[in-house]
Amino acid sequence: MVKTLVSMLVTLSILIGAAIFENVYVKHLFQDFQRTLLTLQDKTENHTANYEDGAAVREYWESKKSVMYVWLPHSTLQEFDYQLNEAIGLLYSKDYPNVISKLEILLAMAENIPQTYSLRLENIF
Amino acid sequence: MGLVFIRTIILFITLFVIMRLMGKRQIGEMQPYELVITLIIAELACIPMGDTSIPLLYGIVAILTVYFLHQVVCLIDLNFNQAKLVLSGSPSVVLNKNGIDDSQLKKNNLDVSDLIESLRIEGYFSLDAVDYALYEAEGTFSALPKKNYQEKQTSLPIILVDEGKFDERNLKLTQKPKGYFLDVLRQHGCDELKKVLVMTVDGNGKVYLQKKRQKYKVFHLDWEAQLW
Repeated sequence: MVKTLVSMLVTLSILIGAAIFENVYVKHLFQDFQRTLLTLQDKTENHTANYEDGAAVREYWESKKSVMYVWLPHSTLQEFDYQLNEAIGLLYSKDYPNVISKLEILLAMAENIPQTYSLRLENIF
Repeated sequence: MGLVFIRTIILFITLFVIMRLMGKRQIGEMQPYELVITLIIAELACIPMGDTSIPLLYGIVAILTVYFLHQVVCLIDLNFNQAKLVLSGSPSVVLNKNGIDDSQLKKNNLDVSDLIESLRIEGYFSLDAVDYALYEAEGTFSALPKKNYQEKQTSLPIILVDEGKFDERNLKLTQKPKGYFLDVLRQHGCDELKKVLVMTVDGNGKVYLQKKRQKYKVFHLDWEAQLW
């Protein structure tokens, strides 16, 4: 009885702990990333952004991505990768209007991804 | 993670309720919740294993949730008798000294031929060879034979009438017309075939007859020779 109760409590603690950590960590990480993207967006609007700025954003994303693979489906992260690389490519050719539209997509994704995997009724069903 | 946790709980409860509703026929030597765990745990392990785009943690969390639910059900099962009845069910006595209890059979989605099959597996070929037969909560079958049950099993009984319908294939084996057996039924107070729950006959002409919601009768037909 005691053993069963202890094992239940330990399992429940691990599960709830992991759920809370995931929720907070993913949300926090994407908020940080959103801020980085917003900075790049401002620079792009002023036509001062260059390839190096884009590469710095990518470097930041790459440093966080490996940990994100533990928490999120890999296809979601690959889609994000694809959009980001396309934005950086456009930045290289200084195609600012298209960079802005790509950054808008990335910003929306950065906002939606944590919501998609957060504890919400619509996500459960 | 939290999503996987809650979704696993929902799926577990759904499967569990369905298994309980399906009755003992579907279970077979496992408690309903054990069967549910067996059904889902293999899939939970396989999906992240085969699909590398799904984080391994999703599988681990789901398996841990199933383990947690197993512990909860075990705890309830062992400590609360009323809850145990709901979770695991109770044994169903499908045959007693009055004969077959068809309401218990129906409750478990079984019919008379299923009962006869279970009896045969246990080594009892005649319905009147046992005093009690029951399906345990986990779906296994147990029977308490009569003291002299082996004397009652001299030939293989076959089902002639099952829930008010003649079994035409078995009727041919008896080499007698349908009318012959309708007369036998009439002689034993059964004017309507649909009132017969079961009628079996063995090669020596021994008949087991049970009308719906009545005690069974055993009698012998006057056959010149053993037919099988």
